Amino acid sequence: MGTGKNKDLLREIGVLGSEAAGASPQDLIIALKADSKEVLDEILKNIDLWLQPATESRARVSVRTLEEARHRQPRSNLTVISIPGEYAAREARKALELGLSVFLFSDHVSLEEEIFLKKLAREKGLIVMGPDCGTALIGGVGIGFANRVRRGPIGVIGGSGTGIQEFTSLVHRAGSGISHAIGTGSRDFSDAVGGLSFLSALEGLEEDPGTKIIAILSKPPGKAALTALLPRISACRKPVITCFLGFRERLWPNGGRFKEVRTLDEAASLAVQAVSETAPPLLSFDSRLLEEWTQKERNGKASAQKFIRGLFAGGTFCYQAQQVLREQGIEVYSNAPLPGNPELPDPFSSRKHSLVDLGADEFTDRRPHPMIDSRVRCERILKEGEDPHVAVLLLDIILGFNSAPDPAGDLVPAILAAKGTASRRGGSLSVVASVCGTDEDPQDLKRQVRRLEEAGALVFPSSAQAAGAAAFLAKRL
Amino acid sequence: MESPLKQLLQQGPIAINLGLQIFAASLEIQAIEVIHVNWAPPAGGDPELMAILDELL
Repeated sequence: MGTGKNKDLLREIGVLGSEAAGASPQDLIIALKADSKEVLDEILKNIDLWLQPATESRARVSVRTLEEARHRQPRSNLTVISIPGEYAAREARKALELGLSVFLFSDHVSLEEEIFLKKLAREKGLIVMGPDCGTALIGGVGIGFANRVRRGPIGVIGGSGTGIQEFTSLVHRAGSGISHAIGTGSRDFSDAVGGLSFLSALEGLEEDPGTKIIAILSKPPGKAALTALLPRISACRKPVITCFLGFRERLWPNGGRFKEVRTLDEAASLAVQAVSETAPPLLSFDSRLLEEWTQKERNGKASAQKFIRGLFAGGTFCYQAQQVLREQGIEVYSNAPLPGNPELPDPFSSRKHSLVDLGADEFTDRRPHPMIDSRVRCERILKEGEDPHVAVLLLDIILGFNSAPDPAGDLVPAILAAKGTASRRGGSLSVVASVCGTDEDPQDLKRQVRRLEEAGALVFPSSAQAAGAAAFLAKRL
Repeated sequence: MESPLKQLLQQGPIAINLGLQIFAASLEIQAIEVIHVNWAPPAGGDPELMAILDELL
């Protein structure tokens, strides 16, 4: 799209010609940089072909407005919006006025717009999931970046997409299933928004006959928001598990049907336990295996190798890993620090123990997110490999609808190259990874794990476990 | 009368998609009714014209 932002980017990389400069947001700009004229000619020759839809489908019935779509499909009940943020609130408002709930993937929607939309939704008995909502599962249907999980009795309300993905995948892997997972957007629990969508989601799950227990996953809510929401949560007729990552206060000292946990693993484990007649498979790692691995990895290290470098596609994983490391007494720098942790002065350059959220704005402004394009992460893996102080790389791989087709495979060449760099220096680089996903995801969970293991990584089913293993090794160096 | 949110949770989504076409495609793969809007910014993306349009409509 010929938006101002996109044209600025093209200008920065030196490919904005006069024709593209005059393009409007309704125009599609194709800009190419090639090593030779032959390559350019080859691409230009095929461009019309590539722009044709691969298959005909009902979804591609040509309508140009939301109103027209509603007219063509009058039973619609949800609008999925991923257009640029500057236009998104306008369309979301139209959707609500047409009586449609909204899954708002777009970010860069202002706080004022968010509050306005959410109030309007509540007036109409609808919900706005988002803005910046990555994941939802409604009646077993994955929306946005979601994993294929079986249906079951566990309901979820989550402030982050990857948090929902991890929880729902772990529930599936532990043998249970999800009734609905409702995303709220990351700002919903802030004092300004006050959990407007959370309240709608809680009401919806409380009334839903298929939901037996409700898990609430989020970064710590704002103080005022929490004070306002706690009485409502306490009044919930169903059991509730709260997982506010990085939150240190106790919410439910009396227990009962309300429980709090520290990590997404614990939330999944507890939820499955609560709804299963038999105890679920433990979501904990084999400590003997970890000790053997640690012993082996320690032996190859040069004396300068001390630090963990976590490179994350999932913001929640970066956040949760900081909590896990903090509990192990390891101080980490981050571009998205847990309260109390130091901020990386330059997100593009790690120092000491660093955990980097590569999905943060500074990495994704006008560039694809690392869940769909691994280039930025591969470059960073190579860079970390050149640092003689780095001992452990900590990575997350996220499967599911709309993620990259082979996210583990995309990283393997960079992992092998970084390991090679370390060994040529006389050391060794350890790699710990987690794979978030299920055996029903399109990427083939087993194959993803195998690819990482073949590249020498120690692979865990959850990000918290991977962080724990990285800490275990780092503390013994 | 049941709230629209309750209906959504009970019936599952019947969706209208604006933006990334892959989101519509992933719903289709799950056998969900979805219609994709061939969306373009109204008024050529001109914010002033859009505001005037909003006033008029």
